[in-house]
Amino acid sequence: MPSFQISITPSRRAAARFITGVRRKILKALEEENKKRGLRQTDLARAINVHRSVINRELRGKKDMTIGRAAELGWALGRVPTFDLPERTIQEGSNLPAPAIVTGPSVGVSQANPFARQEPATATTKPLKNVTVRVLDDATV
Amino acid sequence: MATPIELDRGGALFKLEALEQQVQEFRQFYASPDLHKWLSNVLPTMASAYDIEINPLEQFVALSEIFCAGERLTYELQFKPLIHITDGVWELKTQDIRIFGWFHKKDCFIGSVADDATRIKKYRLYHGYANVTTKRFREALDLDNPKYVPGDNPHAVVSNFDYP
Repeated sequence: MPSFQISITPSRRAAARFITGVRRKILKALEEENKKRGLRQTDLARAINVHRSVINRELRGKKDMTIGRAAELGWALGRVPTFDLPERTIQEGSNLPAPAIVTGPSVGVSQANPFARQEPATATTKPLKNVTVRVLDDATV
Repeated sequence: MATPIELDRGGALFKLEALEQQVQEFRQFYASPDLHKWLSNVLPTMASAYDIEINPLEQFVALSEIFCAGERLTYELQFKPLIHITDGVWELKTQDIRIFGWFHKKDCFIGSVADDATRIKKYRLYHGYANVTTKRFREALDLDNPKYVPGDNPHAVVSNFDYP
């Protein structure tokens, strides 16, 4: 089977997911506040005294967002910015060799955790390659 | 005529295994041989045109995980119809890359070609990639009929999404 995987280091993978998740969460909060009280990017920009184009580029991912800016946007949205670093936990019922499961850090402006998906801490860096079998599926555990 | 899984087994398509093994897959991403080559050889060498901290490869990894895990996508920001060029052709998007393809069924994307978003805009490659490369590949592929979901209704191709 020519199925394939693309792998990056677990740390960079966590970073990419975290950055994407923060932006996603702010966009979601903005969508909710827009429906609730008509809040727009322009209002956020005005509230924190920056140009709307800056906010737009940050929310579209075309400009890096600082931790401080994420908090400012959370504040402007009327939310409470939070940041958590839950301990690694072992997932019950997993068929992976323990203790492989971690939960990512979370930050955000609402209750939902964008990092509900868990990933193994034992993942290794490997170049892109074809994968013919998924070894753990066949392993005797 | 064959299913995407059969085409994957035969080497006509490459199924992306984007998720860790304990994670349930809710959407499928298949790549053409050309797209597979591009993802393998070109994407890892690309730098972001926006000088942002996640490079195009990392952007794709994040998008493919979100996509395959069935997490919420954002219409137009992460997937967008190109029906004005070719019926049923969509693009998956990150900040720096565009992936052209179609949905064989809801939540089953088949990508035919990808490129640097800046380059696509600069050289106006949308028409060529959508109407020539993707359409020809779709027509030539021995895929079960109907080969693609027609139209530009996001509800018909992706579950769990919202608007920006």
